[in-house]
Amino acid sequence: MNKEFLKALLKRIISSLITLFLLISFLFVLIRLSPGDPTHKFLSAKFSPELKIKVTADFKLDQPIYEQYINFVANIFKGDLGISYNYRMPVLSVVWQFLSFTLLFASISFVIQIIISFYLSIKSIRKKGNTFDKVVSKLSLIVYATPAFVLGVFLIYLFSVQLNLFPSSGSKSLDFDSFSIAGKIGDYFWHLTLPIITLSSAGIAIFYKYLRDNLEETYQQPFILNLRASGYDEKVILIKHVLPNAIRPLISVAGIELGILLGGALITEIIFGLPGMGRLMMSSIFERDYPLVIGCALTAGLIIIISNFIADLLKMKLDKRMIKGLMN
Amino acid sequence: MKFKPQIWHLLLFFWITIIIIRVELLIDLVVLWAKYFLLFISDFNIAMQLLDFNLIDSILSIKLFIIIPIILFLFRKKSLWLKASLNFSSLTLVMLLLAFIFAPIITDENPEFQKDLKMTKLLTPLSSVKILHLSKKENTPTSALEKFINYKHKIIKPSYNENIILVNNVEVKSDRIVYSQKNIQKEINFSDVQIKDGIPFVTNKIFILGTDEFGRDIFTRLIYGARISLLVGIGAVVVSLLIGLSFGFIAGFKGGFIDIIFSRLTDLFLAFPIIYFIVLILALFGNSLLAVIIVLGLSGWMGLFKIVKSEVLAEKNKDYIITAGMLGQTNRKILTKEILPVIFVPLVVNIVFQFSNVILAESALSYLGLGTGNSYPSWGAMIESGQRYIIKAWWMISFPGLILVATLLSANDFGRRLNKVINPGIRK
Amino acid sequence: MIRKSLFLLPILLIIFLSSCGTKTEHPNRVVIGIPADVNTFNPLFAFSVDEGQVTELLYLSLADFRWNENLGELEAHPMLANSWEWAEDSSSITFYLRDDVMWSDSIPLTTEDVVFSLDVYSDPVVNSRLYGFFEDFYTDEENHIDVKKSFLVKSDYELQINFKPGATPKLIDVVHPVIPKHIFDKYDRKDIETAEANFNPVTNGPFVLKKWDRNQTITLGINENSFLYNPENINELIFKIIPDYKSRLTQLTKGEIDLMELISTEDIEELKNLDKVTLRTIEGREYDYVAWNNIDPNVYKDGGGITPNKLFGKKEVRIALTHAINRKEILEEYLYNYGELAATPISPIFKTYINSDIEQYNYDPEKAREILTKEGWRDTNNNGVIDKNGVEFEFTLNIPGGSPLRTYASAIIKNNLKAVGININVETLEMGSLMDKLYSKSMDAWMAAWYIPIPIELKAFWYSDLQTSPVNFVSYQNKKADKIMDELTKNSTIDKKKKLYFEFQEIIHEDEPMTFMYWTSNIVGINESLRNTGIGPLGAITHCWEWSVKN
Repeated sequence: MNKEFLKALLKRIISSLITLFLLISFLFVLIRLSPGDPTHKFLSAKFSPELKIKVTADFKLDQPIYEQYINFVANIFKGDLGISYNYRMPVLSVVWQFLSFTLLFASISFVIQIIISFYLSIKSIRKKGNTFDKVVSKLSLIVYATPAFVLGVFLIYLFSVQLNLFPSSGSKSLDFDSFSIAGKIGDYFWHLTLPIITLSSAGIAIFYKYLRDNLEETYQQPFILNLRASGYDEKVILIKHVLPNAIRPLISVAGIELGILLGGALITEIIFGLPGMGRLMMSSIFERDYPLVIGCALTAGLIIIISNFIADLLKMKLDKRMIKGLMN
Repeated sequence: MKFKPQIWHLLLFFWITIIIIRVELLIDLVVLWAKYFLLFISDFNIAMQLLDFNLIDSILSIKLFIIIPIILFLFRKKSLWLKASLNFSSLTLVMLLLAFIFAPIITDENPEFQKDLKMTKLLTPLSSVKILHLSKKENTPTSALEKFINYKHKIIKPSYNENIILVNNVEVKSDRIVYSQKNIQKEINFSDVQIKDGIPFVTNKIFILGTDEFGRDIFTRLIYGARISLLVGIGAVVVSLLIGLSFGFIAGFKGGFIDIIFSRLTDLFLAFPIIYFIVLILALFGNSLLAVIIVLGLSGWMGLFKIVKSEVLAEKNKDYIITAGMLGQTNRKILTKEILPVIFVPLVVNIVFQFSNVILAESALSYLGLGTGNSYPSWGAMIESGQRYIIKAWWMISFPGLILVATLLSANDFGRRLNKVINPGIRK
Repeated sequence: MIRKSLFLLPILLIIFLSSCGTKTEHPNRVVIGIPADVNTFNPLFAFSVDEGQVTELLYLSLADFRWNENLGELEAHPMLANSWEWAEDSSSITFYLRDDVMWSDSIPLTTEDVVFSLDVYSDPVVNSRLYGFFEDFYTDEENHIDVKKSFLVKSDYELQINFKPGATPKLIDVVHPVIPKHIFDKYDRKDIETAEANFNPVTNGPFVLKKWDRNQTITLGINENSFLYNPENINELIFKIIPDYKSRLTQLTKGEIDLMELISTEDIEELKNLDKVTLRTIEGREYDYVAWNNIDPNVYKDGGGITPNKLFGKKEVRIALTHAINRKEILEEYLYNYGELAATPISPIFKTYINSDIEQYNYDPEKAREILTKEGWRDTNNNGVIDKNGVEFEFTLNIPGGSPLRTYASAIIKNNLKAVGININVETLEMGSLMDKLYSKSMDAWMAAWYIPIPIELKAFWYSDLQTSPVNFVSYQNKKADKIMDELTKNSTIDKKKKLYFEFQEIIHEDEPMTFMYWTSNIVGINESLRNTGIGPLGAITHCWEWSVKN
């Protein structure tokens, strides 16, 4: 059993590494093929042709392509992503500054999505078919179909412009440093309320739908009917038997959800002017800051690869438990 | 018995409504079709020269329009589709399809038409302006060809028109005509305008859903926008389908090394946050309609690939496939004859969801300034520009926004219904 | 019930905590909303306009340039230098520095710093933004200033700069922000680009950098030791980075920011109704144009050959195109007359040099058709598009993404040209791709804008030798114009310059290398309590240490 597990783990690690390598090569090809020259951002009548030639040489854009590729891959595996053209700082430290925000932002949103969707789906499966269930089901469809930018613009218009309850952009106040710790946390949440609603709503709708369908399906399983017939308490059935079964497919959805979350974070960060990865990525693309573009894309890819890996591990773990549970 | 609306009722209703409100246009189009047919016989070369997208579009839609009652009459009893009951999602989807096909008949305006910005900019829904028709300066056409071209322009309207002036008010003052545009008054000679019953010929023009910042009719743009959105949706899905189907089939059938490569490739695409990928490509390589379609297609084939591969793997060891192989059928035939019918339904469900994802993605891209651009009236672009006028002109964002949400809702609903048909386990 | 209140707890917590951070009053603080963060505080690398504006507040130059509204010219005032003296024959200049200027780490600023700065600016390994612009100095082959020959340090506060024989030096080419020698001397020259000191700068200006929160805020505090310090004026300047235009505008109306630039004309009406915001305009710094590639892009691509463009090669055609475009309608209906029609690349703010005799090519589709017909463009195959020798008058007009004005104008232009039988296809390109195509000269037509330098600079834009005019994207070539531009680089009297500029404008107008659309105004919204803001062609925030807040 254990050996099998290790073997599966090793296989999974190798396949993740191959994916990573493919991602790196793919990025290299993409960047090399793309039009646009990083030196062009210096476009101005007061920019001498001499400087252009020099900058191009400094960016090592004049080497043969295979040398560039080998250097590129070698450097990445050494952990050296180079220096950002714009920030004039090592790419990793730039990425880290912005990544920490997005990670915090996305994980808060993720937790909120899980809590609310669990709450809603259990409540609506319990009262299956009544008004609450119907309204929430319909509402979740509408929320799912509403694009994040439409929702974000609407929230700003309503809560920021008209009602003046929340700030329309940024992640902290100007006097942030002079606040007490409680004040700092409060200020942060005050700024993040609207963005988190924007980012979470679609995820809540997705999780809700999956959970509700899974719960419904599990409830129809023969063994649940048996338990019910044996007179077990509904709560015990739900917590001990239905939920573990319903969660398993959810984990693989969560892996995919993460991609959606990162994408949603990109749009949300732009609408609300938050200092996150999405905005960093956009601005680095538009300014042709190639080392940074690669850094961002690679980081985002890594996050997804790692979290899929964890999701798979969890699934394996859960599977085992389920087998054990059945045997007992 | 209670009356339950079915899809063919909607089609009939559509047909009758259009006949009532667009009767002149329909007759004109039929005449145009006849004239073009005559021209086609008499002078093939010139007819080919005159053939452009708008002409084909108009003639095709009038042809299809005439066929509608025949189809209804013939298939009403037999076709399951036509008998399907009408609900929110099927209503929306059928309307979309009608807008897609009959755009030139539903609206008689050019989606790019603009004139006298001062008069038409950002008009509220249901507002109207007056049109003062000028007498034509050009010489009367002599040849049959010129006559045909003139006639064509009268019916298939170009995006400009120099023979009209849009005005608020027209007054006759002795020998001059005074018209007002907003608060500016201008004068014009009697001889320059068309006269009917002794007074200047003035008609009314109503903008049902208002106008945008260019003074273009929003209703018309929504109708034509349906074409772009559907085109992007369908195009991208076709791209995804082609990739997913061929990769999946090859990977499933050949297995081994090829399977590993394709599966890694799938992982790669799944590992990249899809919007980063799309933004990266569009921003780096430029965003045209075609680029948007291809990139969105490229970003959505993984689900299809997985379905096809697993189905092929499941099917390929079954007896009938092996027999077919032994009977000497080629792989292509096995794909089309044996595998496709089996995976058809799950594919369709996946495609429907993919379709709604694509439409959503297109509008998000427009928001980021990477959509299909402003050369086409796409809904995403309309929302994007409406967003800038949200306080001044609520109608600019509301109508396309509502239609977008309705479309996405209907497509999702449609997909779920299909899913229920094939997975009856979930059905209540 | 308990569970329900648990649900409410986080909401209550947020409300409670946010009230902890009550706002403190900062009467002399000014907050400026900007769309993008700066990348450096080092004037060596301040490529963007925003970076230039911020670094100029941190680092002063020897002289201070201000705009003289009446003459339409720059005027030099003393700054780090109390005064200066030109040699009779312009072969050298002597600066007399102030002796009371300290770096922010309390080390005095001396002539050594000035010499070091010019040395570093011109050093090829540094990649400064001004590299290659020191032709008037004694330099080596790599354009690096020869320090020994060029500078004569007479004392800590007196410096003589010698120029190459035959050079025509101007004050503006010599005076650049001064950087501290004692800081940057510690670095290897090629490491200055990534030096830590670029982010925690040691400065000499009226402001010091207090805090930099990347992509959020830049906080500048007043430097009380500066000779420019005045306790009555503002004491804190915060640049708040808000990328989304709508958010910036919302914050201006709510008073969260005190100043923002580049307000869209569509929003003016709304802002005019507000009491706390006043609108100011910076005129004549930027013009929009529709470029018609004068040369054939395909031939150019196949080996740099110069042949006239099939469509736009003749000036008559280009003039007809200008006649066909209703620039006035765009100016009136989109720009609400904030701006004026442009006829040449010389801005109306240069009052001495603007040739007012030049007559605009008015909107006249009839005339456009007439000219085109005369040039042989007729619709011979009845497809609604004019053609000549089998070539249809059809092309793609590229516009950069993210510019509502250009999107707007392109829609109008498309319709205008269609009316004279020209078919265009508007394509939006992302800025990076557009630049690529600009440099490779591979587009037929595009729309963009030029932010013009002060003082007037023509050679980079219009010179025939495409090597010396890197941004002559339309490849305009005219020998007569070249001669005038050569003449203008020399020092001469105002009257002579005036004559040359007038002549240049006439030539450009006659050739119409592109359709000059209009000079657009930079509309600046500021809090009405701000006083003494000298908003002018040099920018919205120059000299902002002189601002004060009305209480």
